[in-house]
Amino acid sequence: MKQDNSQSEPIRISKLDPKFKSEVMKHKDAQGLNACFACGTCTAGCPVHEIFPEYDPRKLAKMVKLGMRKEVLSIPYIWYCVTCHNCEQRCPQNVKFFNILNVLKNMAAKEGYAPSPWVEQTQQIMQTGIVFPKDEELAKKRESFFLPVLKSDCKKAKKLIELAGLDKIKAKKQS
Amino acid sequence: MNSKKEKRIGIFICHCGKNIAGGLNIESLVESSRQIQGVVYVIDNKFSCSEDGQVAIQKAIQNQKLDRVIIAACDPALHLMTFQRCGKKAGIEPGFVDLIDIRKWTMHGSPHRVDPEQAFEKSKKLIELAVKRMRLKRLIPLVEVKAEQSVLVIGGGVAGLEAGLDLADKGYRVYIVERLPTIGGKMALLYKVFPTNDCAPCILAPKTAYANIHPNINLLTNSEVKSVEGYIGNFDIKVIQNPRYIDAKMCTGCGECIEKCPSRVIDNVYSAGMGERKAIYIPYDQAIPKKAIIDAEHCLYLRSGACSLCEKVCPTDAIDFEQRTRTIKLKVGAIIVATGFDEYNPTEKSEYGYGRYDNVITQFQLARLLDIDGPTKGKLLRPNDGREPKSIVMIQCVGSRDENTNAYCSNICCMYALKHAQMIREMVLPDTEIYICYIDMRTTGKGFEEYYRKTRELGINFIRGRPSDIIEETDTRNLILKVEDPDIGRLLKIETDLVVLSCATIPSSGTRQLSQILQINLDENGFYKEVHPKLRPVETNVRGIYICGAAQGPKDIPDSIVQARAAASFLDKELREAKIKLPEYIVKAIKLN
Ligand SMILES: Cc1cc2nc3c(=O)[nH]c(=O)nc-3n(C[C@H](O)[C@H](O)[C@H](O)COP(=O)(O)OP(=O)(O)OC[C@H]3O[C@@H](n4cnc5c(N)ncnc54)[C@H](O)[C@@H]3O)c2cc1C
Ligand code: SF4
Ligand code: SF4
Ligand code: SF4
Ligand code: SF4
Repeated sequence: MKQDNSQSEPIRISKLDPKFKSEVMKHKDAQGLNACFACGTCTAGCPVHEIFPEYDPRKLAKMVKLGMRKEVLSIPYIWYCVTCHNCEQRCPQNVKFFNILNVLKNMAAKEGYAPSPWVEQTQQIMQTGIVFPKDEELAKKRESFFLPVLKSDCKKAKKLIELAGLDKIKAKKQS
Repeated sequence: MNSKKEKRIGIFICHCGKNIAGGLNIESLVESSRQIQGVVYVIDNKFSCSEDGQVAIQKAIQNQKLDRVIIAACDPALHLMTFQRCGKKAGIEPGFVDLIDIRKWTMHGSPHRVDPEQAFEKSKKLIELAVKRMRLKRLIPLVEVKAEQSVLVIGGGVAGLEAGLDLADKGYRVYIVERLPTIGGKMALLYKVFPTNDCAPCILAPKTAYANIHPNINLLTNSEVKSVEGYIGNFDIKVIQNPRYIDAKMCTGCGECIEKCPSRVIDNVYSAGMGERKAIYIPYDQAIPKKAIIDAEHCLYLRSGACSLCEKVCPTDAIDFEQRTRTIKLKVGAIIVATGFDEYNPTEKSEYGYGRYDNVITQFQLARLLDIDGPTKGKLLRPNDGREPKSIVMIQCVGSRDENTNAYCSNICCMYALKHAQMIREMVLPDTEIYICYIDMRTTGKGFEEYYRKTRELGINFIRGRPSDIIEETDTRNLILKVEDPDIGRLLKIETDLVVLSCATIPSSGTRQLSQILQINLDENGFYKEVHPKLRPVETNVRGIYICGAAQGPKDIPDSIVQARAAASFLDKELREAKIKLPEYIVKAIKLN
């Protein structure tokens, strides 16, 4: 999906949502946000940033603070985090960016911004109990290693997913 | 003195503008205070501490024949003296004027602030208790004791020396107790000092040399304070002096012994681990006192009876293996604590590899390498292979501004990083690229911003970001780090020869023990705590014990000097009469030698 890259235009503060920050910070996990002093340690240590420079924890934290609600929740990058916890581990201000990101992802999902592969995966788990679709290649490989055939018991997984309400998340419309 | 007659108590309730009046019902408080037994007069003032407010109090004392006064207003640490002086003018003893803090319940920003009803109830209670206290109160008898005209200064760094010299010039006998074999502290090891970049030993030497010959100063090096008893004017001190194994009167500092000594050790104190010394050594050329000392732990003779070469070659027979620890008793009127700071050991921040990677060093180590009289005579070479570094990265705020180590800003590291960058560029390795990774550049002192500009003009690179970790390349032993440069919005990957960590300034080791010996408070960061950060910065909770320099908090030399002078001035004010009035119970309770 293409971003609206009208970067030459200044961002109009009056068009932003100053309440966004407090909405995010209502979550216990995200309360460190205001302490961030933008040192960039998180970004320097983020393996995702190295490959996708657009994904930038320091920048994201600032965007939330400024109230760039739509921009933050709609960009696909927030789903790229590989949950390594580097940002959280090295942050000198205990901001816990990783937790903030989870809050953001939950909000994004609720507002219909979840990426379709993510939604497909959830459905996959509900149906088969396994993240990946049934795969002949994989089955053969397992057999050659004398591993048992994968049984898919999806009842528990389904129940969990329903309890968490993940089944109701709609994928972001492709445009 | 204390007649049985019922006391006439007057109460003055302050509005403090809206600070109090905005947070509780003053009228009701006046009304409820009138009901308390013993209270004959209650009135409210807009600002009790103002000229009008004080006149109103004095008038009421005269017209209403008050003999006790309670002011319900603000923090006694702030204004009790004001009101005691005010009362005294109208003829009331200071002990019979009391100030209670009701503002803490009402003022915006106060951590104790509560809603108006609660504020009223709490204030009412406090006033009732204050009246009860006042009705029972008798004057505490004061007795006059002599105040010794002598001072103990703990720590012989620039702060302690400044305070000691000031007091010695004023006529006090000054004992400077320094635990190292030399005086001068860290400054003696800096070579150049910001913001003027003058030679530190050159501007320090007049002080150290003067302290060494001042008729009123006794230097006790290699010594530590063991116990302190007594009170202002009359402290009994025990100092332990560790043996030098040298007769200081005989030693001429010729160094023959050092030449012959076969035992080499890494010098962790004066060279910060970047150089060696012998078991017998003189710390550095300008050391004061310039006398040899034997490090018993590494001396072959003291350990196993072998060697004694130094004894054989010493032309003046100064070596004395029989020296033992000595206890020295002192009697002093007051104490100045100037024990300075230590550099934070960054091993704990394992992501930067200090201790694991040879080419990661601290700024204090760099300072020693840049010193032309230091362990490398001013040569800056990589620790692992002795090669000149082609590029250097400095990382700021290591162990400072960090909730997991020290939350505070260490105040001096931005400036000394700039200084070291300038020195390397101008004097040592002009072609070496230097990168300073920082969070904020703090250059707020006089002449400091100009200093920052000069560093930029020298072409030093500034990157407003902090690396997450450092990786060492196994074959080259170069260091690789990534840091985001927000100016261009890109991640930089830097391969560098040398990394220098600007480590936090922390209280010097032993601060906690000494605070227990002296019974003085520490702040939340472990530095000595002042009575009030703005108004009483050099006093401690013990009258007669004062603090100055980096022992009170991270500080550069100019600020250390200012504080040292302030401590000396305050101390002089307390002792100069050679006698002092103290509450009788203190004098009775504490037995002196
Ligand atoms: C790398 C580096 C570079 C710096 N560069 C500059 C600069 O260019 N300009 C500048 O203005 N400032 C600079 N500073 C700061 C400067 O070092 C301090 O401001 C100054 O040393 C503070 O003086 P002090 O006397 O309070 O403490 P110190 O210099 O630490 O002296 C304290 C003394 O007390 C002694 N002591 C400690 N505990 C005890 C004890 N229990 N009993 C007896 N004695 C004790 C110590 O041995 C020491 O001699 C720099 C600091 C560092 C780390
Ligand atoms: S490491 Fe922490 S303080 Fe620094 S920019 Fe990231 S979240 Fe903010
Ligand atoms: S947890 Fe996510 S955001 Fe944090 S450093 Fe790892 S990949 Fe980056
Ligand atoms: S006796 Fe000790 S200090 Fe003297 S020369 Fe031998 S090892 Fe060195
Ligand atoms: S003085 Fe500079 S380097 Fe030192 S802690 Fe403060 S901001 Fe960081």
